[in-house]
Amino acid sequence: MKRSHAGVIVLALMLALNIVFTQFMVHQFFFEHYRNTLIFAGLNILTFPVAFFIYKKEIRKGGNSHEQ
Amino acid sequence: MSDRNAKIPFDEDNYTHNIHRNNERMLDRRGFMKTMVGAAGLFAISSLPWGAIAAKELMGLGEKEYPKKKIASLKSVAVGDSVDFSFPGEHDSALLIRLSENKFVAYQNACTHLRCPVFWKKEENEMICPCHHGKFSAHTGEPLAGPPRRPLPAIKVKVEYGNIYAVGVKRYEA
Repeated sequence: MKRSHAGVIVLALMLALNIVFTQFMVHQFFFEHYRNTLIFAGLNILTFPVAFFIYKKEIRKGGNSHEQ
Repeated sequence: MSDRNAKIPFDEDNYTHNIHRNNERMLDRRGFMKTMVGAAGLFAISSLPWGAIAAKELMGLGEKEYPKKKIASLKSVAVGDSVDFSFPGEHDSALLIRLSENKFVAYQNACTHLRCPVFWKKEENEMICPCHHGKFSAHTGEPLAGPPRRPLPAIKVKVEYGNIYAVGVKRYEA
């Protein structure tokens, strides 16, 4: 079985995005730009279903390959 | 090399034959991905309160009500003069300026650079922070010169029955 690390890499990117969005969110909150805070909070929340989708897809792709 | 890799050593029906340590499979690729998804979820949940507070502020629910406070009587402030007062709290010093017959502006007078007190310079028609020569526009509170980058927070002023009252603090928008 050939391992694919695409999912791991994309998930790591997702996590990096999370960190970036959180940083922006907190900064914009500090500067009382509440609209921007909401945008970044939304993006932060949105990355979770995306990450979950990627995980599911990755599981489906290589799930039972060792049994073949 | 390639035929060595292509060889299947024995007929296997499991994928754990090469595990030598206990719990070696605890954090395999799938487990790692699971952790990362969990972390993304944690980030999502932790950004909820920020979003909630931001939404609350945007909808005006965070607008605080302060009891109105008399600053001075109308007669005691000539055009171009300023009055020091404190609003909303006892220690939040502020500055009222009478720009014209009917125009009053008031700002929190802590400089947005390092919170030095800001003074009204009548001759130069601008507010000055003596610490590092920061200057602010009296009309908008915007910084004109010096180190401060953000405007002074404005205070809502109302004239009633010959007195000047501070009624609220304007939403700070930089």
